[in-house]
Amino acid sequence: MNEWVFLLLLLAPVVSSIPIALAYKSKEWTEKLPYLSVLGIFVSVLMSLHIFFALEEGPYPYDWIPELGINFVFMVDYLSSYMGVITAVIAFFIAIYGLDYMKGDYRPSWYWFFFNLFTASMLLVVYSDNLLLLFIGWEGLGAASWGLIGHWFRDDDEIAYVGKTGRKVGPLELSWPPSFGGWRAISTIRFGDVPMFFAIAAIWVFAGNLNISEIEWGTLFATIGAAGTVILLLCLLMGLFTKSAQVPFSEWLMTAMTGPTTVSALLHSATMVAAGAFVFIKITWYIEPWTLHGVPGLESVYILVLFVGLISGLYGALAGSGMHERKVLLAATTMSSIGLMFAAAAASFWVGHFAVLVAFWYMAVHAFAKASLFLVSGHLIHATHSRFLCGGLEFGKKMKPAFIVTIIATTFLVGMPPLTAYWVKSGMDEVMEHLIHDLGIVPLVLLILTSLVYSGLLAKFLSLNFIKGEKPHHEHVEGGGLMKLGYVMMVSVLFLLAYLIFTSEETAEFIHAGMAEVSIIVGILILLAYVVGLVKPRIAALSRLGTFFSDRMYLPFVNDYILPKTGFFVSHIVNEYGNRGIDGFFNTKVMPGLFGGISKGIRRIQVGGLTAYVKIVLGLVMIFLIIASIGGMGL
Amino acid sequence: MMELAMIAALAILTLGSVLSFKYRQLGFYGAIVALVIAFSAIAFSASHFLYYGIFILAIGIINLVSLKAIKSEIRGVDYGLVGLMTLATMYIFNTNDLAMVLAALVLVSVPTYILVMIREGGANVEVGLKYITFMVFATVLFLIGAIILAYTKSLPNAGLLYVLGYVMLVLGLSLEVGVAPLHEWVPDVFSSADPIPISIIASLAKIVPFIAALWILIYTANPLTASITMFTAVLAAISMFTGNIGALTSKEHARVLAYSTVANMGYVLACLVAIPLVVVIGDGLPGFVIKPEFIYLALAGGLLLLFANAMGKIGFFNAIKEEGAYSPLMYILAFSFIGVPPLMGFWGKLFILLPLVEVGYTWLVALVVINSAISIPYYIRLASELGIGWKANLTNLICVAVVVITLVTVAFLPVDWFLEGMKSLAQTIGVVI
Repeated sequence: MNEWVFLLLLLAPVVSSIPIALAYKSKEWTEKLPYLSVLGIFVSVLMSLHIFFALEEGPYPYDWIPELGINFVFMVDYLSSYMGVITAVIAFFIAIYGLDYMKGDYRPSWYWFFFNLFTASMLLVVYSDNLLLLFIGWEGLGAASWGLIGHWFRDDDEIAYVGKTGRKVGPLELSWPPSFGGWRAISTIRFGDVPMFFAIAAIWVFAGNLNISEIEWGTLFATIGAAGTVILLLCLLMGLFTKSAQVPFSEWLMTAMTGPTTVSALLHSATMVAAGAFVFIKITWYIEPWTLHGVPGLESVYILVLFVGLISGLYGALAGSGMHERKVLLAATTMSSIGLMFAAAAASFWVGHFAVLVAFWYMAVHAFAKASLFLVSGHLIHATHSRFLCGGLEFGKKMKPAFIVTIIATTFLVGMPPLTAYWVKSGMDEVMEHLIHDLGIVPLVLLILTSLVYSGLLAKFLSLNFIKGEKPHHEHVEGGGLMKLGYVMMVSVLFLLAYLIFTSEETAEFIHAGMAEVSIIVGILILLAYVVGLVKPRIAALSRLGTFFSDRMYLPFVNDYILPKTGFFVSHIVNEYGNRGIDGFFNTKVMPGLFGGISKGIRRIQVGGLTAYVKIVLGLVMIFLIIASIGGMGL
Repeated sequence: MMELAMIAALAILTLGSVLSFKYRQLGFYGAIVALVIAFSAIAFSASHFLYYGIFILAIGIINLVSLKAIKSEIRGVDYGLVGLMTLATMYIFNTNDLAMVLAALVLVSVPTYILVMIREGGANVEVGLKYITFMVFATVLFLIGAIILAYTKSLPNAGLLYVLGYVMLVLGLSLEVGVAPLHEWVPDVFSSADPIPISIIASLAKIVPFIAALWILIYTANPLTASITMFTAVLAAISMFTGNIGALTSKEHARVLAYSTVANMGYVLACLVAIPLVVVIGDGLPGFVIKPEFIYLALAGGLLLLFANAMGKIGFFNAIKEEGAYSPLMYILAFSFIGVPPLMGFWGKLFILLPLVEVGYTWLVALVVINSAISIPYYIRLASELGIGWKANLTNLICVAVVVITLVTVAFLPVDWFLEGMKSLAQTIGVVI
């Protein structure tokens, strides 16, 4: 019975999008079939709710290759049952929004197929207990991400670009079309996936099991020693950091904004980029590093994750503070938030289970809030025909639902008391405060700084879109009913989450943390930063610094200049010196010569004459018999 | 009961052939009736012959049908000859008598002497001469080898005699089916004879020699087998490389297929390396342990490979005769030859490789895999050059039939059913499981 639940959960989105993929030539059908695709995602929502309410916690194994311990093992636990519902519901809301947003697009088949494939892959990542199965979903995420970022592959509409066209810094043009965005995404992610794959293989070899919940992590780490532990976890983390766009792998996420806004909302804020953090949370949940303090090497890995997370958090917030592109600004804040998730989960090494819960709940709140903001951005881009921040109070009044949703989503997300994220952020403050004993005050300071910049930044987003921005050159405020429905539903979940935080047993500690002195002070500071951002969204005196920040502190140079130049240099060397040998061996000299020689030999025998053949055969038979006689003599 | 049915089948076959001088069609129908009678008798008397019997019946009938594509001088009798070969092939697993095994070999071999000469409007004497010379030589070597081996069974210490017998038998087999370096007749005969008789020689006629050799080698296996099989393994390796490189660098389709036969016989010879060795080890060779399932695995592999080869050769040679056949069918046959899962050729190779690994011939396994890779270009080229659009004709009908049989292993995955059949079959040729 339960196998049907998982089968429907994962297959419904894919199967329901196959008709539209096949009907790509028919305009008539591609206008109708998106509803079927959305229905498929709705089935997933129902299944995820069924899993949440009706299925008992524990593993659900189904045999695949039992001899190798590679099976379909789904895990229903606290994390996956929540995350599954979150993923399916967000995908469903965004799909509804997409019905309007993608109307009249030039390749709906491509869009819906990859959108649904993505949803299924993400659900696979969420529910998999088996690492190989998880990795299959993981690769599905990568493929769908590439397909959707480069959706407008013709690069013919400037509105889909990232960066001001023509703006050059040094030798590099800081503007990216969709096709390049897709390429940057897939190349960065593959760069991390390969070591991740090796890490999974290594786990299989050393632990003999790939089920996250069953692996004896302590024993595994003891078997491979300190260096082994560090190398293994670093390889695994390469996959997670690249997917979650952490420093220095963050560039692809910024240019991923060349994809349709629905894609940015679902993949590049709420779910896929969060998948890296989610997998880290999930693994930490089962590794229970707070019980493994004696394991050499483990602490250094967790310190690394903590600081990569915190630095990404601050970097993202600062980079965003100078930006003027709606979606790229949001992308920067996304990266920042995910950094905080990593940091909080990593802090569990010293703080314990509570830190993992904080990270997870922050992920949930962030997902809904950020998805709402992205959906609003998409609507604004449609309404103003501009991807840059613009729109004054007059415009805001015409776009009331979007305006209100933005107010709710930003205030609920930044950690302003007493709104939803405040309680989770208070938990995070408490966690970082705990670390003072082991790691000093730096983590707490980084967190507070990030939170303040982040708060001001989202206030700026609100202000420059609806209150103090320039009047848009173009206004198209009618229609968009399904889009409004999409983001209104999305943002309303934040109220539900607040309710859950107050009523559920696991999160009782959040309320406690929210009452603490430090949290209240930080909360008030965040409120102030928000007000500053709202009142003074542009500070002329800091414009040069802002440009430096909005150029992402020139990190694009690593991606687009230093790495390719190095690559070209290496390939030049290989081509000049290595290739001649390889070519000579395989293509021009040794192997072809060998084949040619043998072939000539084989052909030379075939003279056509019977006498010659008889001579050859008789001769060979005699030789064989003589050899056999000599060889057999001693037996 | 079964012997009676066999005699009845032979009588009908003979009668059909004789009467075909007056009424041409009687040869064909006589052969079909005889085959059905023989098959039913075998299937009723021992159900484990069923799968083997079905395959042979199918190959026999397809060969019979394909003869309709050629206007032969001896039309009618040719059906009788093919019927006789099929009967002998069906019968071989039903006997425990060395004389009968050798008789079956001769019964399959001799009709091909006549078949090979069939040509529209005359007899291809030159090809016949070349072919018969080597076949006679092969049969003599095989028979002497077999008798020497059988004799060694009664000796307390066989030694040199066993080795000589073994080598003669394997050389006889190699000449008969065309294993390099004794393959010289194959490219010439395959490319200058008519494609239809060649499709029979390359399919049906290859099965009995292998089973006969296997039967004798298992029956006479002793600890010396472990050392002498290296000889067969080396022959197998030479044949694979000669066949594949020859095919890769040939242009004429019939010649490509001739070399492909040489390569395929190399793969099947590898099965002759594995099985007797598995049996010897199973009997308690010191220092070795083996699981009994590898015996029937190897047998299944050998037979599936022979069947896959038969299907492919029938399809391709018929396509050559008609200057092309429906393209997708050609590609499926090519993929089966290459060994793409889950087609029949794949299972054949896999089931041979598993026991080979088990008996320690890993290097031969590696060579089989490398050779499968070498074969990819020429099979694909063959398929693309012979593949044309759909036409409703006899050739395409035959190709559809062989493709359906090639796909049997796809439709009934996993192929446990075949393995189960092989388990009981293995017991009948003296293997104790």
